[in-house]
Amino acid sequence: MGQQIEFALRQSMHRVLIVLVSFLPGLVAFLVAVIVLSIVGAILAALLRRLLTAVRFDERLTAAGNPGSPGLFEWTSAQSPSRLAARVLFWLCVLVGAAVGISAFDASYEANSRVSVFLLPYFTHLIGAVVLLIVGVIVARFLARSVLISAVNAQLQYARFLALGVKWLVLVLTAAMALDHLQIGGAIVSLAFGILFGGIVLTLSLAVGLGSRDLVSRSIERTMERPGGPTEAAGQRSGETQPRSRLRHF
Amino acid sequence: MASFSSFESLNPSPEKAHAESPVPSNRPRLVLCLPSMTPEMLENTLANLATVFAPSEVLIASPDFEQSITPTPLPVTAYEGPHCQPNWVLTAGNYLVAASQAEQHDSASVLMLGSDAATLPPSVVRQMAELLASGIDLTVPSYSLGPHDGLVNAALLYPVTRALFAANIRFPLAVDAGMSRRMASRMTQRHATLSQPEALVWPVSEAAIAAFSVRQVDAGTRARRPPDTTDFNTLFTDVAGSLFVDIEAKASFWQRARSLAPAASSEPPPQTGNTNDMDDELPSMVDAFRLAHNNLHEIWSLILPPQSLLALKKLSLTQPAAFSMATGLWARIVYDFALAFHLRTLNRGHLLGALTPLYMAWAASTLRFFGDPAASATHLEETAVAFEREKSYLVSRWRWPDRFNP
Repeated sequence: MGQQIEFALRQSMHRVLIVLVSFLPGLVAFLVAVIVLSIVGAILAALLRRLLTAVRFDERLTAAGNPGSPGLFEWTSAQSPSRLAARVLFWLCVLVGAAVGISAFDASYEANSRVSVFLLPYFTHLIGAVVLLIVGVIVARFLARSVLISAVNAQLQYARFLALGVKWLVLVLTAAMALDHLQIGGAIVSLAFGILFGGIVLTLSLAVGLGSRDLVSRSIERTMERPGGPTEAAGQRSGETQPRSRLRHF
Repeated sequence: MASFSSFESLNPSPEKAHAESPVPSNRPRLVLCLPSMTPEMLENTLANLATVFAPSEVLIASPDFEQSITPTPLPVTAYEGPHCQPNWVLTAGNYLVAASQAEQHDSASVLMLGSDAATLPPSVVRQMAELLASGIDLTVPSYSLGPHDGLVNAALLYPVTRALFAANIRFPLAVDAGMSRRMASRMTQRHATLSQPEALVWPVSEAAIAAFSVRQVDAGTRARRPPDTTDFNTLFTDVAGSLFVDIEAKASFWQRARSLAPAASSEPPPQTGNTNDMDDELPSMVDAFRLAHNNLHEIWSLILPPQSLLALKKLSLTQPAAFSMATGLWARIVYDFALAFHLRTLNRGHLLGALTPLYMAWAASTLRFFGDPAASATHLEETAVAFEREKSYLVSRWRWPDRFNP
């Protein structure tokens, strides 16, 4: 009896060691592919950046828009366009290296294992979800700041609350999209998102419509009654007779 | 009376050398571009101009002129184009039209009048024409405003132009302008670099960097067309953004040390208006600033140094009766925002939106001067002097933005 148990344990350890031994070359191949292509990506990124600087890519891109006022073509990032392009190229090479590494990882297994058939698509979905999250966070911060500044300039007392609500709306939407992209949770995620999103919208509506009713009406009254408020016409004809002087900013 | 810009011409205008020489009869000395107006207004305007101009001195260009109307006291020609009707100020397209008229008629100078030009006294137009004939490259009027008028100009446009471009021109964003041929050509070149004809341009700074001479003429009261945009926030963003773009484009010029603009040779135009009826506005404006401080403090901390933030915090705790933003603080705030605009510290639209409440705080600080024109003029001068004094701060931060700045 004891010998049989010992034999079974030795057999199982032997099988695990075989699996690990067959796994290690694939892992090393994966790491080598990622490292080599990262180095290649860094070199290509440096060359691209030098090329874009030589052709004055940044100046041409910013001059294409309206220089008079910020608009759709305004470059919002603190990073220069050429620097961002170089970074995108670098990370593309890293992703290609990861894809090559996964294929090499699969090649180290037996011919019928087909690991990469399952792993590679999920890896791309994972990359897509990460990109989705990054874009969603950027958009959420941008929209929150826009709403905050606009609400403050409109002298709304609940400006910060409004900005926070918008930010979380976008973040919740982004998280739901990312989870759906990864095929995690399925209907549960969709249902939870619907409940959460609807709850946030309902909360905002109740807070603004009912809970802050007096605050909103005072803000609206002040905005409508104040002759020198920021939403007032920016200038009036000087020749017109005014019963009461007003601020004329222009 | 004309007052001087400190930036005298180092490159004398060719017209100045021939100012006294006779002009060929088929070549007008001056082309005067009128905006679009009704036939009755055009007739009255021509009659008024005929009292100060001889027919041989000027050629009037009007988009409404028809050959079939009765003979005019002055020679008139028609011009067409998408920018015949000026906006509340002259834009790039208007300067292009003016330059094209000067080129077409081979005139020595061109004078472009803005909307409601009929309210501009003919004597002022004559003064501007005489300055152009004497060789001055750019003449702009200086208007008499009410105590509540032109606050953005007083807070931002005039002090910045005076400090950075050494041009003591009261209204750098021109409603009317007179230009020599070379000045008009330069404005045309400027338009060529802009993608939109409705873009704002800054003729005073253009003249400064080209070493052209600039003069202003006291124009008294003039009706000014209000901006098409009624939303103050949008308009302020457009004007301030255009100014910051201009500052950024001309950084190599204003970073060099230049002599400060001397005091105006004549008293500034007296402001109309008497009693201060804005006292009841002050508490609400102070409340608005406090709201902005509570909500935008994090954004301001990305742009302003700790010293300015501390001053703003103290200001937010001040009672309305004592609410006053120091001129030096306002100057540093404007310069810090101009630098952040250049460095793209954050989205430019957000940046200019965050500047709006600070401007309104400055406007609230000036309310107590509205009842006293002399005090208002003194405050305007102090603001301009503060911008000149803090120019070294801007130059230092522009060159070394990462250096420690308390």
